Amino acid sequence: MSTTAAPTPGASREDLARLEEGWGERPSLRSWFSTVDHKRIGRRYLVTASLFFVLAGLSALAMRTQLARPESRLLSPQEYNQLFTMHGTAMIFLFATPMLFGFGNFLVPLMIGARDMAFPKLNAFGYWVFLFAGLFMWASLPFGAAPNAGWFAYVPLTDEGNTPGLHMDVYSLGLLFLGIATTAGSINFIVTALKLRAPGMSLNRVPLFVWAIVATAFMVIFALPALNADNALLFLDRRFGTHFFDPAHGGNALLWQHLFWIFGHPDVYIIVMPALGIVSAVLPAFTRRGVVGYALVVFAMASIAIISFGVWVHHMFATGLPQLSYGFFSAASTIITIPSGIQIFAWLATMLLGRLVLKVPLLFVIGFIVTFVLGGFTGTMFALTAFDQQVTDSYFVVAHFHYVLIGGAVFPILAAIYYWLPKITGRMYHEGLGRWAFWLFFTGMHVTFFPMHLYGLFGMPRRVYTYPNEPGWAGWNLVATAGSYVLAIGLLLVLIGVVHAVRRGRPAPPDPWGGDTLEWSTDSPPKPYNFPVLPQVHSLHPTWDETSRTSMTEGATDDRIMADGRRTLATSELDGRRERTVDMPESSLQPLLLALAMLVFFTSMLFGWYPVAIVAGLVVAATIAVWLWPTRRPEQELGVR
Amino acid sequence: MSTHPGPRARLAGGLLLWYAVLGGAIAWAVHLIAGWSVDELTCANGSDRVGVLPLRAAIGLAVVLPALATLGALLAAALLWRRTARTPRGDEPERRVGRSRMLAVVGIWLNILFLTIIVLGGVALLVLPPCQV
Repeated sequence: MSTTAAPTPGASREDLARLEEGWGERPSLRSWFSTVDHKRIGRRYLVTASLFFVLAGLSALAMRTQLARPESRLLSPQEYNQLFTMHGTAMIFLFATPMLFGFGNFLVPLMIGARDMAFPKLNAFGYWVFLFAGLFMWASLPFGAAPNAGWFAYVPLTDEGNTPGLHMDVYSLGLLFLGIATTAGSINFIVTALKLRAPGMSLNRVPLFVWAIVATAFMVIFALPALNADNALLFLDRRFGTHFFDPAHGGNALLWQHLFWIFGHPDVYIIVMPALGIVSAVLPAFTRRGVVGYALVVFAMASIAIISFGVWVHHMFATGLPQLSYGFFSAASTIITIPSGIQIFAWLATMLLGRLVLKVPLLFVIGFIVTFVLGGFTGTMFALTAFDQQVTDSYFVVAHFHYVLIGGAVFPILAAIYYWLPKITGRMYHEGLGRWAFWLFFTGMHVTFFPMHLYGLFGMPRRVYTYPNEPGWAGWNLVATAGSYVLAIGLLLVLIGVVHAVRRGRPAPPDPWGGDTLEWSTDSPPKPYNFPVLPQVHSLHPTWDETSRTSMTEGATDDRIMADGRRTLATSELDGRRERTVDMPESSLQPLLLALAMLVFFTSMLFGWYPVAIVAGLVVAATIAVWLWPTRRPEQELGVR
Repeated sequence: MSTHPGPRARLAGGLLLWYAVLGGAIAWAVHLIAGWSVDELTCANGSDRVGVLPLRAAIGLAVVLPALATLGALLAAALLWRRTARTPRGDEPERRVGRSRMLAVVGIWLNILFLTIIVLGGVALLVLPPCQV
């Protein structure tokens, strides 16, 4: 790790020593398990989500190899079903959202000038639950018991009669387990962004990345209960013989689809929104100016977050609902392209008016714009009911959502990796290697997925483990498979670039890009307490603004140093007005224990060991009680000052 | 002379601010849930009336009332935008007015967008029979 330091802090040597004592963690096995430092947790999210990405990517390569030629028998239908289900489920739930939450975890406190997340223990708990839920789901694959009915798990295909075995129980319980982590993380982001912003950071000075994370967190809070309810009902139907989705006994099969897509469509934006925030964070550094139309970009994020809840029926245009109902959802699905378009034009205007510095992060941002616009274009086509009904369940749909998700999430994630790698690791990456990675990834992505539009229009259905030699299918499938290998080589170069940077990269200065947000005002990598002096913010671009910068050096005041113990500042939600200091919790093993007890509970439920599940449930309740039990401390220690 | 408003005026101002920003969004949510659920449930029951009202009139209410509420929110946001045109001196007042103005801009565009969606839903009601599958 680098030891390059930010400009002389306004805190004295004694203050720095006390801050180090209060916030530092001595390296040990215990501290590895008990850490609550948002930066360590953020890095773990990034590494773990990347590992799940590799597993899901290898599943995709196996499927593309199978589909390279017609009538191929490399994989059995059972294996193929499990691979495509785990590929989709893992990419959506175990890679995209956790990866972006990882960046949020590392960056949000740094960008708003705080010393940690609002609830550090809850943050650690969220990570452990995410890790265990991911392992819970992936562990089923070697035993041939992985989910096997597609990532959206439609009933009646997924009821016990049609899909016997543990497969879909792993799916429903795994996602219920994972939902606890996502919900905990979202609550933490919202409270952190609303209450821990540096003094002076009113709502009109909040970085766009933070706006994006907050909008995403609100979407998760409102969307996830629908998925949780759906999975709970599915598990009850499968395990205990209830009939929520069984029309023969008064249930409703479409109920699954409604609940799933009430979650599922906002989830597209849950994945894409933080990535759009990444683009808005990267651009100022590489165009040498702020993003054009800040208020309009905030409006775009807010409107997408809201409208995304009113478009779910466009996933159900082939289910036979009244045309007028479709009309309401078609209107919303069409109009939601406007705020998306506003963001695209704001970024294009920023590039047009700025001075471009064509480094690897900017290349990935440009790749994002090209790919995401193409995905958005086919998305607009789907908003039209008549077109949607023609291509439903064909490879055209597969092409569309890969353009949206790889364009809208993976390109920005890769931009973010290169952009913040110096901040996270304290090391610079190799520019040449990064450029090769970009061009291979960009080429591979389009060669893989563009042909799917064509053979989708030629009538090839999605989710088939093999196919007959129909005109136009075999050749384009072979091209797509070749592209997938080019794409994989591009990603391998990204991995090599990261390892090379960590091991051999030159030390990174605090602000290698001339970025505008607060994380560039502190060391690379940041000290455990983030900032020796919490900043007083005077503009939207505090690192470019002399007054904000000097508030951390010559302008430092004791009330923003807070060197005793582990303390940070709470401010008002709208105006960032100083309210009080708050004490932050120390490292603890409780988050890990609670997550472990939950893992035992969900595993017991999966195998039907109900007495063990009851005991695990009691341990969960007891751990929560101990966690929340108020400690008797003098008023001064409680942060009442 | 001091111009600090009292607690009731501040509460009213705060509520008006949030109505200006989010009024259209809430009205659209009501429009969507009411319009869609009334249409789907009534048609599924094989009926063309909701109580005493014909189905088309009931859905029409789910279009017109939210549209009016959104129009009100749009006017409130425009008023807020006009009132925050001048930035006072000093960091604290500048911050307060600055964020209010930003919220006004966000509110204006949000309300225009939601009004458009509601109007498009109204157009669908005019051209499509409510229970046609």
